Amino acid sequence: MSHFLDRLSYFTRRREPFASGLGEVRQENRTWEEGYRLRWQHDKIVRSTHGVNCTGSCSWKIYVKGGVVTWETQQTDYPRTRPGMPNHEPRGCSRGASYSWYLYSANRLKYPMVRGRLVQAWRRARERLAPVEAWAAIMNDAGQAGGYKGMRGRGGFVRSSWEEVTEIIAAANIHTIKTYGPDRVVGFSPIPAMSMVSFASGGRYLSLIGGTMLSFYDWYCDLPPSSPQTWGEQTDVPESADWYNSAYLIAWGSNVPQTRTPDAHFFVEARYNGTKVVAITPDYSEVAKLSDLWLHPKQGTDSALAMAVGHVILREFFLDRQVPYFEDYCRRFTDLPMLVRLERQGEHWVAGRTLRASDLPDTNAGDNAEWKILAVDEATSAIVVPQGSIGYRWPKAGGGGQWNLEGRDGASRREVRLALSLIEKRDEVLPVAFPYFGNQPHERFTGNDQGGGVLVRNVPVRRVRLADGDAEVATVFDIMCAHYGLERGLGGAAAQSFADNVPYTPAWQEPITGVAADKAIALARGFAETAEKTRGRSMVIIGAGVNHWYHQDMTYRSIINFLMMCGTVGVSGGGFSHYVGQEKVRPQTGWAALTFALDWVRPPRHMAGTSFFYAHSDQWRYEKVGVEELLSPLADKRAYQGGMIDLNVRAERMGWLPSAPQLETNPLRLAAAAREAGVAVKDYVVEGLKSGRLRMASEDPDKPANFPRNLFLWRSNLFGSSGKGHEYFLRHFLGTKNGLQGKDLGEEGGQKPEEVVWRDPAPEGKLDLVVTLDFRMSTSCLYSDIVLPTATWYEKNDLNTTDMHPFIHPLSAAVDPVWESRSDWEIYKAIAECFSALAPGHLGIEQDVVLTPLQHDTPTELAQPLEVLDWKKGECDLIPGRTGPGISVVERDYPNTYRRYTALGPLMDTLGNGGKGISWNTAAEVHELGELNHLVVEEGATKGRPSIATDIDAAEVILSLAPETNGHVAAKAWEALSRITGREHRHLASAREDEKIRFYDIVAQPRKIITSPTWSGIESESVSYNASYTNVHELIPWRTLSGRQHFYQDHRWMRDFGEGFALYRPPVDTRTVAPLLGKRSNGAPEIVLNFITPHQKWGIHTTYTDNLIMLTLSRGGPIVWISETDAKAAGIADNDWIELFNLNGAITARAVVSQRVQAGMCLMYHAQEKIVNVPGSEVTGLRGGIHNSVTRTLLKPTHMVGGYAQLSYGLNYYGTVGANRDEFVIVRRMAKVDWMNEPERQAAE
Amino acid sequence: MERGDLVVLKAIGALLDYPRPELRAALPEISEVIGASHLVRPKDRLSLLRLVESIHAAKPLVAEERYVELFDRGRATSLYLFEHVHGEARERGGAMVELKAVYAAAGFELSSRELPDYLPVVLEYLSCRDIAEAKAMLGDCAHILRAIGEALLQRGSDYAAALQALLGIIGEPELNVKAASGRRVGREDLDAEWIERPAFEPAGPPGAGRG
Repeated sequence: MSHFLDRLSYFTRRREPFASGLGEVRQENRTWEEGYRLRWQHDKIVRSTHGVNCTGSCSWKIYVKGGVVTWETQQTDYPRTRPGMPNHEPRGCSRGASYSWYLYSANRLKYPMVRGRLVQAWRRARERLAPVEAWAAIMNDAGQAGGYKGMRGRGGFVRSSWEEVTEIIAAANIHTIKTYGPDRVVGFSPIPAMSMVSFASGGRYLSLIGGTMLSFYDWYCDLPPSSPQTWGEQTDVPESADWYNSAYLIAWGSNVPQTRTPDAHFFVEARYNGTKVVAITPDYSEVAKLSDLWLHPKQGTDSALAMAVGHVILREFFLDRQVPYFEDYCRRFTDLPMLVRLERQGEHWVAGRTLRASDLPDTNAGDNAEWKILAVDEATSAIVVPQGSIGYRWPKAGGGGQWNLEGRDGASRREVRLALSLIEKRDEVLPVAFPYFGNQPHERFTGNDQGGGVLVRNVPVRRVRLADGDAEVATVFDIMCAHYGLERGLGGAAAQSFADNVPYTPAWQEPITGVAADKAIALARGFAETAEKTRGRSMVIIGAGVNHWYHQDMTYRSIINFLMMCGTVGVSGGGFSHYVGQEKVRPQTGWAALTFALDWVRPPRHMAGTSFFYAHSDQWRYEKVGVEELLSPLADKRAYQGGMIDLNVRAERMGWLPSAPQLETNPLRLAAAAREAGVAVKDYVVEGLKSGRLRMASEDPDKPANFPRNLFLWRSNLFGSSGKGHEYFLRHFLGTKNGLQGKDLGEEGGQKPEEVVWRDPAPEGKLDLVVTLDFRMSTSCLYSDIVLPTATWYEKNDLNTTDMHPFIHPLSAAVDPVWESRSDWEIYKAIAECFSALAPGHLGIEQDVVLTPLQHDTPTELAQPLEVLDWKKGECDLIPGRTGPGISVVERDYPNTYRRYTALGPLMDTLGNGGKGISWNTAAEVHELGELNHLVVEEGATKGRPSIATDIDAAEVILSLAPETNGHVAAKAWEALSRITGREHRHLASAREDEKIRFYDIVAQPRKIITSPTWSGIESESVSYNASYTNVHELIPWRTLSGRQHFYQDHRWMRDFGEGFALYRPPVDTRTVAPLLGKRSNGAPEIVLNFITPHQKWGIHTTYTDNLIMLTLSRGGPIVWISETDAKAAGIADNDWIELFNLNGAITARAVVSQRVQAGMCLMYHAQEKIVNVPGSEVTGLRGGIHNSVTRTLLKPTHMVGGYAQLSYGLNYYGTVGANRDEFVIVRRMAKVDWMNEPERQAAE
Repeated sequence: MERGDLVVLKAIGALLDYPRPELRAALPEISEVIGASHLVRPKDRLSLLRLVESIHAAKPLVAEERYVELFDRGRATSLYLFEHVHGEARERGGAMVELKAVYAAAGFELSSRELPDYLPVVLEYLSCRDIAEAKAMLGDCAHILRAIGEALLQRGSDYAAALQALLGIIGEPELNVKAASGRRVGREDLDAEWIERPAFEPAGPPGAGRG
């Protein structure tokens, strides 16, 4: 209504003034205000967040009106930080705010979808057969199976019903378990912290049926292997608020404002606090723009710069002058005083393993003497056995109480002061040889030739008498000073000044990195001087920019070295801040119990993602990097025959890495076979493996019996964003059209592996069934057989935490899942229900033989103390859990899978719960959960157990069982730790002992978690969370060999691969460019560039790039940044369509020509979807690929090491990583842009 | 029960829905309603009947695959009206709330898990109303119906007939077959679609400064 007739045209009414004329009374129509009222009217506000892997973990207000989500705003009610510190809020960035309309977007998945050809075969088979038999019939008909596999990624979906899809899935799982074994059913889901219950749902289902859960953190290459190597801990880091407490802050390969947006304010506020802020990135990144100093070493050479920083600090703060704080810190909290045995090798010596108490002729060091390291007491010059090494962690019954860093000799228990250096008390000076890799030629990286791959340096040594005779020993500090090339008046080669071109001086690094020597010196001095004045408040924020390289641990360790030298680790405002992926599940022990069904069956089947995908997507068949190129020139090469896959097979066989599928034989058949043979199952398996009657599946990954058959993907975009070697996945894993350009070793006549059976032709389409749960049609969905519509982040109840802030807060359902979608918890529940219904007649109560690797934080981390011995080569006997994998028999009750899924099992009462090497009784919590969630009343296997029917019930299980969210559990956990350390820790949680954080508490407000021994920092009103805090302040050892932080890695493989000490290694040559360069010309000039894939600006990690707003802000499709120099050479103008290709595959994208990028590299943001504006490739003739189309993953042998203290396996803790930054691509302008818009007419017959 | 003229809207809506078995079973009934409708122009009736026939003739899974390919992904042919108006902007929620309020004011509660702006939902609602309201509401969204219709034409889909028929009912001009079929998505079109003009045009002579 226009109100025309209501308005006066010629008059105004007299208005009565009031308040001395400042106000007046009006009588007029105010209905226009209604529009504004209605606009912002809502029925309720619900707290939720975005379960996306971006570390933000920001709480949001979701406004709901009439059952529709109408808008969202940032929550601003985080508990405030202490006075003097900025608050956390507001958290939540504009990218997150653009999420809401995914809910109703045209791209939303609305119905269960299934591949047309598959469902046609299924329905036809079902007309005459029961479900499991129907699936078997399809599998046995090669034509039918191949028919739908070949259509993967090429459309052809139809809608189905939940009844039908759960039946197909359950039937496929049952058939697979029955025919091949439960370990052939595999699940992949990343980053539990972003939605813990959703992760747990699939994990619980798979663990109950004996399926394999793959790790993700290592596969994503977000896992820094340096963290377990140094600390025996995986990525425990300061919260972002602690940046503010730093006095010298380096962002190294971490683009804070772009990828840590809600936390970046602490970075900026630190500057106002007087903090010096430095950015080290090869490109002119967002973080470079707001820093005081920007250094830009050539991409991939960062360790050379970091080594020079270490050189300067050792020179000026340890040798020329001593800083008492640094010395004291290194003496007490690092392995620098530990003794290393020197081994004679021809003319010179080399650094061997650390000395152990068992090496001494007469030791009273007690049990586990092989795991107790030695040092020299400064006062008496006597060799002592310092408390705290890993030998003290796992005492025999009745022992304990000596695993601490009190600085005592373990035998006499008297206080000792360990000598860092023996230079004053040396018996002699010996020439020690060190490997040097800076001279290794690489076509595109400048080296620094030092006349060979071996550097000889003089080291001061003591001669000692050991059980096996006289030996020369030196401290880690003395050997490391020699390694860094420091002159100490011992003669021989060493750097006389920073200007000498001697490894690892500032002048030496200049030709490699391009960073001027004086800048490196200034950086070192600034960092160390600040740490000296502030007692360690210097910090390095580090990230994917440097971690995704093949030799990432060299960069990380060379940086961590100077962090440790300056006493910054474990100090508020200091230390190592690695943020890649939202990896911190704060209530981890509660979550793990639910996820891996530890309440019903133990142990679960875990697998290292990288080794799994490398083997089963057959990337090993194309290996071009030889083991010998990686070995130290000082190593005995005969011990490392074969290829990368061979070393991986040996690692699995020796129990270092897990294996999946595990044995060629169905593990459900072994118990019966053993019974028939009249021997114990374990003996049967051991004997079988030794005689060759049983074989590890990893020795023949291309044999059909060893294929992984069923794959579940949820909360992930495996094929779209994280499938390194995408085209290999398409060909071998999925069996569909692919753009692979290279030939395998068989076709090329290359050196084939030794341990692994080579089969021709290579298998294509190993997977029988790929099931993906998602809320949008991602690239992974397009390649799946069944796509299940899952609830979005505003349609389910779940838990969310991050390492960036100390709060736990929820996702909660603002509206019911729209269309046919369901929460992950409900989806897996439905699958479990159908599975249980179909199991009888096929699977009953079964005995399943499970192999487990030697695990970190368990007594098996003490498995292999001195040498590497392979039972298969007859070097030792096969002893399960010691020289090979552990063997357990697990009883599975298949028909009760659904009941078990929905109830808390009895092992929580009988075995308790725990994590990271400690355990406690949970009977009280189980009882409480029964009261909270109610007990199962239905007759059957779970009657009387606490119910876990809903996602909220599941959340309560996590919260009740975890020390971080249940004060009573925290107290029990600290007491359990006290029994091992002999120190009182309970005070850390006593103030909050009676606090229980429940789901509805965090719905009301985010809650700060309770201090727990699962983590090494504390939640306190006086300091911010910082990792290693309890190691330094509570004297709890790091979970490493020495119990201290490690500069030196003494495992045989670490030494033989040249990485005993951190050093510079150039990127590896992947050899994927030369065979194609100039061979497929389209007339345009071709250039070769290093291919770098950092995290998004116009998208959030792996989930957001198909969002209309993000696409509009960017360029609406795939883009690749190149430098002006390279663009000119290749005749490329900004916005031109270009193609990037190599032997692995091809990518089509638009060029962004920018001064941001250095010449020699190109930069493509991670995870741009293949589904948006991707034209056809001139090289492959198919649609262009995704960023992983030009990569192939490469294993690194040192990441396979296991059974050795901190170098022992743990899921997402240690293992092979999926590095992808060393790749090069050919780049050229496209001659013709073909949109391939003609639809592929290959619908179901 | 006596059916009104507007039942043809319900029939057209049904054709635009997923070709599930229930719909296939109802195809004869739908044909009958369309054949007898006075509202639909004779020419459009024939096209609609061809659509019915093509759904009927196709093997069920083929028809379903075709539907999924057309309507279950992407924006251009989305049958959710606000996808074309608001895309993924926050205004979409408010618009849906208002539309639900319109239904509620007429005594209709949305009982399924469908969204209120799904075209078959809108058409079912209008089939229960009077011709004036139907024409007014269809008139309001004519430009959206046209956009969807032309996108379908461009894909050579029989489904365009449904949108053409709706436009015919409210006396709108024909879908522009020529424009649709002649239009190929090329680099320039994509640019035109995605380009955003600078907020502030650079001052000075052309080429002096770039935003």
